[in-house]
Amino acid sequence: MIERLRVGAIVVLIAGGVFFTFVSTTGVLRLPDVYTRAHTASQADTLGAGFALAAVALAFGWQPTTVITVLLLFFIFITNPTAAHAVARAAYESGVEPWREDEP
Amino acid sequence: MATERVLVPIEQSVTLRRTVGYAVESALDSAGAVELHFVAAVTNDERTPTGRRAVEDAEGLLDRVRAWVDEDGGESMTVETAAIGTDRYLFSPRDYADTIVEYVHETGIDRVILDPEYRPGASAPMLRPIEHRLDEQDIAYEEAPVERRTRRAQFVTGGGASRFLALFLVSVGFYLVLGDPTYWFDLVTGAVTGLIVALTLSHVTFPKPPQAVRSTLRTLRFFVVYVPYLLYEIVKANLQVAAVILRPSMPIEPRMTRVRVAVPGGLPLTSLANSITLTPGTLTVRADDQELIIHALIPDAREGLFAGGLERGIRFVFFGRSATSIASPEERGDTEIIRGEES
Repeated sequence: MIERLRVGAIVVLIAGGVFFTFVSTTGVLRLPDVYTRAHTASQADTLGAGFALAAVALAFGWQPTTVITVLLLFFIFITNPTAAHAVARAAYESGVEPWREDEP
Repeated sequence: MATERVLVPIEQSVTLRRTVGYAVESALDSAGAVELHFVAAVTNDERTPTGRRAVEDAEGLLDRVRAWVDEDGGESMTVETAAIGTDRYLFSPRDYADTIVEYVHETGIDRVILDPEYRPGASAPMLRPIEHRLDEQDIAYEEAPVERRTRRAQFVTGGGASRFLALFLVSVGFYLVLGDPTYWFDLVTGAVTGLIVALTLSHVTFPKPPQAVRSTLRTLRFFVVYVPYLLYEIVKANLQVAAVILRPSMPIEPRMTRVRVAVPGGLPLTSLANSITLTPGTLTVRADDQELIIHALIPDAREGLFAGGLERGIRFVFFGRSATSIASPEERGDTEIIRGEES
């Protein structure tokens, strides 16, 4: 029973990871400019990779590798916004105008 | 006898006042005529508000130095003040030193008096200090023999050991988590690595000596209260953004906004800016002190940002419960939607 719940949770988490990675990819393709794309590109890391790594940790169960998986998650959550910020800041400093829906 | 020209590079420091006093005194004692040059090396960074303020600050400081010289009995003395380096971007101590060396050659300076606390540029241990560059150029310099505040000296030595120890333990701990804590080779290499890390970086890692009780409480609040709240916000915002992106009409309303947050200090501010970026729909574009420029993708995200939930959370983590009662950025009137170039 518990084993079944665990497998179910792993499947749900992986599905969530795939879903958010898909949304993120769609966003990068559909959104109009660098700022909006930076938003959605970082989404793939936070929840896409987040859910996938949570599934991995669950699949491993209690062993040392799981600690490393959790650490990986932790570092993704620190580095991902840093990278998104770096991209956006570089765009802002080189004078890229943000796209607005009310201006062509 | 020719006039002796003495250069004193200045920046805001605790010993600046006494360094100026020393320079004036030594000039009064000297037999010949002395010309005092006070220069502030300022980096050119016109594009940021801090950068623009830096030049004004330097000029204000130079004015004060002039007043101090008069106060110390140097009214009749020739005093030159200048802000240098404003035409270029200065980063490392070497850049600052080069600017000063250039000034020395241009104006024929004979001697340099250094404020013991003068540390322009990053104070990373790998970068050679300004003295080294002056040595290379054969420029005579002396450090003003002024006492630093005793409180400060104690503070540094007292904090040094605990900072060193804290960083050493964290490094070794992290190394062993990745390695195998029971294998002697990992233990030895871990200790060596931790030692190197602690030796080179302990004084830049912690701005203050770590306080065990306060940091524990903070860490507890951070992981027990803030992280779950942040995760909830991330999932919520992710779903909102996903719904917008997947809808064929894609109803986005990207806006650049400026929010002045009521969160002082480097670490709290970094945590907040990172959390804002981590939440989809809001992206920190610039952080200039407490003034954040944030790009918001959809109106929902913008409203959430202006309501300041994350800001309140960060205040709770770092400053306790009493700090949560501060009004939201919107109520304070610290929010603004900006357009393109005006910033």
